[in-house]
Amino acid sequence: MQKLSRRTLLSGTAAAAAVIGVNPVRRAVAQDELPGGPDTEWRHYAADQANTRYSPLEQINADNFGDLQMAWSFKTDILGARKEYQFEPTPLLIKGRLFLTAGSRRDCVCIDAATGELLWMFRKDEGQRALNSPRQLSGHGCSYWTDGKAERILFVTIGYQLVSLDADTGLPDPAFGVNGVVDLKQDFDQELDPETADVGLHATPLIARDTVVVGAAHSAGDVPAVRKNVKGYVRGFDVRTGKRKWIFHTIPKKGEYGYDSWLNKDADEAGNAGVWAEMSADEELGLVYVPVELPTGDEMGMFRRGNALFGESLVALDIETGQRRWHYQLVHHGLWDRDIPCAPILCDIPVDGRTVKALAQPTKQCFLFVLDRTTGQPIWPIVERPVEKGDVPGEWYAKTQPFPTKPPAYDVQGIGIDDLIDFTPELRAKAVEMVKQYKIGPLYTPPTVSKPGRWGTISVPGIQGGTNWPGGCYDPESHTVFVYSKTQPSVIGIIPNDDTSVSEFPQVHGIAGADVKPQTAMGAPGSGEPRRPPAMRPGSGPPPGFLVMDGLPLLKPPYGRITAIDLSKGDLKWQVAHGETPDNVRNHPALRGLKIPRTGRAGNLGPLCTKTLVICGEAGFYTNEYGIRGAMLRAYDKGTGEERGAVYMPAPQSGSPMTYMLNNRQYIVVAVGGGNYSAELIAFRLPGVA
Amino acid sequence: MRRMSGWIAGAALLGAGGAVVTRAQAPDRHVWTGVYTKEQAERGKTAYAENCAACHGETLAGIDVAPALVGPTFLNNWNNTSAGDLFARIQMTMPLNAPGSLGGRKVADIEAFMFEANGFPAGDLPLPPNAALMPNVRIVAQKPEPAKADGPCKCN
Repeated sequence: MQKLSRRTLLSGTAAAAAVIGVNPVRRAVAQDELPGGPDTEWRHYAADQANTRYSPLEQINADNFGDLQMAWSFKTDILGARKEYQFEPTPLLIKGRLFLTAGSRRDCVCIDAATGELLWMFRKDEGQRALNSPRQLSGHGCSYWTDGKAERILFVTIGYQLVSLDADTGLPDPAFGVNGVVDLKQDFDQELDPETADVGLHATPLIARDTVVVGAAHSAGDVPAVRKNVKGYVRGFDVRTGKRKWIFHTIPKKGEYGYDSWLNKDADEAGNAGVWAEMSADEELGLVYVPVELPTGDEMGMFRRGNALFGESLVALDIETGQRRWHYQLVHHGLWDRDIPCAPILCDIPVDGRTVKALAQPTKQCFLFVLDRTTGQPIWPIVERPVEKGDVPGEWYAKTQPFPTKPPAYDVQGIGIDDLIDFTPELRAKAVEMVKQYKIGPLYTPPTVSKPGRWGTISVPGIQGGTNWPGGCYDPESHTVFVYSKTQPSVIGIIPNDDTSVSEFPQVHGIAGADVKPQTAMGAPGSGEPRRPPAMRPGSGPPPGFLVMDGLPLLKPPYGRITAIDLSKGDLKWQVAHGETPDNVRNHPALRGLKIPRTGRAGNLGPLCTKTLVICGEAGFYTNEYGIRGAMLRAYDKGTGEERGAVYMPAPQSGSPMTYMLNNRQYIVVAVGGGNYSAELIAFRLPGVA
Repeated sequence: MRRMSGWIAGAALLGAGGAVVTRAQAPDRHVWTGVYTKEQAERGKTAYAENCAACHGETLAGIDVAPALVGPTFLNNWNNTSAGDLFARIQMTMPLNAPGSLGGRKVADIEAFMFEANGFPAGDLPLPPNAALMPNVRIVAQKPEPAKADGPCKCN
């Protein structure tokens, strides 16, 4: 009988949104009145140039969140040549129209924000150029510009071209670039093959003071194919004409500031150091804030010796000229793939009785760096502490790393015995045995040469970071940052490589015994035949480098969490496990009968902040008590972290939510998808006459 | 219970557009019952190295921009779907530089290799080269306990 009802549900509710409220009594009372208000807008990827992802709307609140229902949904299957499952955009909302990129070809679309109807679509078929790109699929979205009359939508294609469209029609602006397009592989202070060069971008272009700022992203650098990869310079373009206004060399040229931070003239040959994250801007100060990734080699720095500016630095640039105003390096000579993954949040906070123009930068290592955004000086002291030196031949090691004294880290950093799984003494004992096979230690424990019995260093947070590309949100009323992070370790082992056709690096990221695989772009053509068969023996217990015991994670939960950080004090205000406990934990035979608090789930998530709530969907699928796969959109009291409601979604949050008021109804729109559920944009609102 | 599964398989096939006559009693299969062969996984290992390892890693552990294809996060994400669902996703979208280029047999081989890496046992019947032939092969992260005769399924 149980099976019958579950199956019946499964067959009939694929697209229906079931709603699970947490407080039915209060809900019933709250439905009568829906205070509306004037239409609002959402003009930037994260609401504003400050990247707060904040809206003061409160029609949807703690009392009625559980009543949310699907207003409309927009399936992106028909965009591009095939379905997409990694749908990351946050739409913009201007004058009742939503603008976003969508589908496997990254088309740009305009949607009626009240009904979900497609109003226009722009498609650019870039052929092999797109297939070669290191950043495929829909990307994070698009950007908006207006001078009060003309309205433009700008986005970067998969093949790394900047397109400017008329917001009314979706037609390219003939005054911009060549027929509305600027080829970003040109005028880049380096010679690139337009078809094959390793550069693309998921992030939205940032528009401030009539300047469009565009970053760059490259293939992951665990096993870099070449030493002299594309340099990830950042550029500013005139929003009207597409003409390049300036370029900032994230890897300085000889004679430029920062060149001397590189030893042996390594800057001349190093590549990457792109800005693949979102950026923020303060038009009043005339600054754009640029989070830079590592130069080539995510865990190997032998060809970027020295602190190597502007690797893993936050740089403030003059919007008009691209001149560096200040910079702050968050990791010196990083060996842990701690690319700064998201935009800093610009916030005006009280410090010693006065208001300071600050910024708060979430990071992969789960420090929130809080700086004065005018000067780049820390709000609270950031101290340099000595860190351990590693054993990788040819590597260069920084002696110290910066540690903020406030606020405290918002997720686990480094790994010790206390961090290991502890559901049962047996599991803890197994975990203790497992970590004996690895090097463990505090944050910034260096990667180690991989060999049997010491396969590598366990890095916590892992290389995907605690926080990644979605970044956080900010409540300007309570001066609080809310940020999601996951607690997931990685193994960083370094193995020698003598095959230059695989990698020009003599040491690469890997596990002893497994042969080195060439690392190509997300799409770069492979060589066909493998050079050597893989050495791994799957199916015979966890292979080296695989941190799982009996199907359970090595670290104890939470696996995913949301933290509120009070910037008026520099303290953590609250923290909750975000996400229902995953299926494998809830159903694990070794855990039967144990009472396990909600563990949260690991992923990459961006929360939304409103007048009273912090709203965020879950990462990954779980199977609920009705036997239905899906994920919940959850709402927390922004003051206490107490959960106020949850709404079923057929798939996990894949792009960060946004909200708006339109015709007196508040909407929450979120991109979902993954697993076997293809990309979909879902709009929620409260019940009522349409 | 058996009648139910047959109905589901038939419905899924019809949904895919095929007027296919199914067995009246399709076996209730899941990944712990041996749904691929050892030889198939061996072929899949080579095919994986050629087509998948550059992004998903030699050990299927994933890298910065591509998710792991082994372990709890992967299994939770696919728990209570079918081998057909996973097959369809691979065939339609992978590899990213040439989606749709892998033939059905190769996709089935790669999926068999992934099942092996995730600890599911091999059996006598290979995974079929067509998603429509395996909507009844459930992906169940946790090995189900031995079923009592006609008892409710405990697969979540």
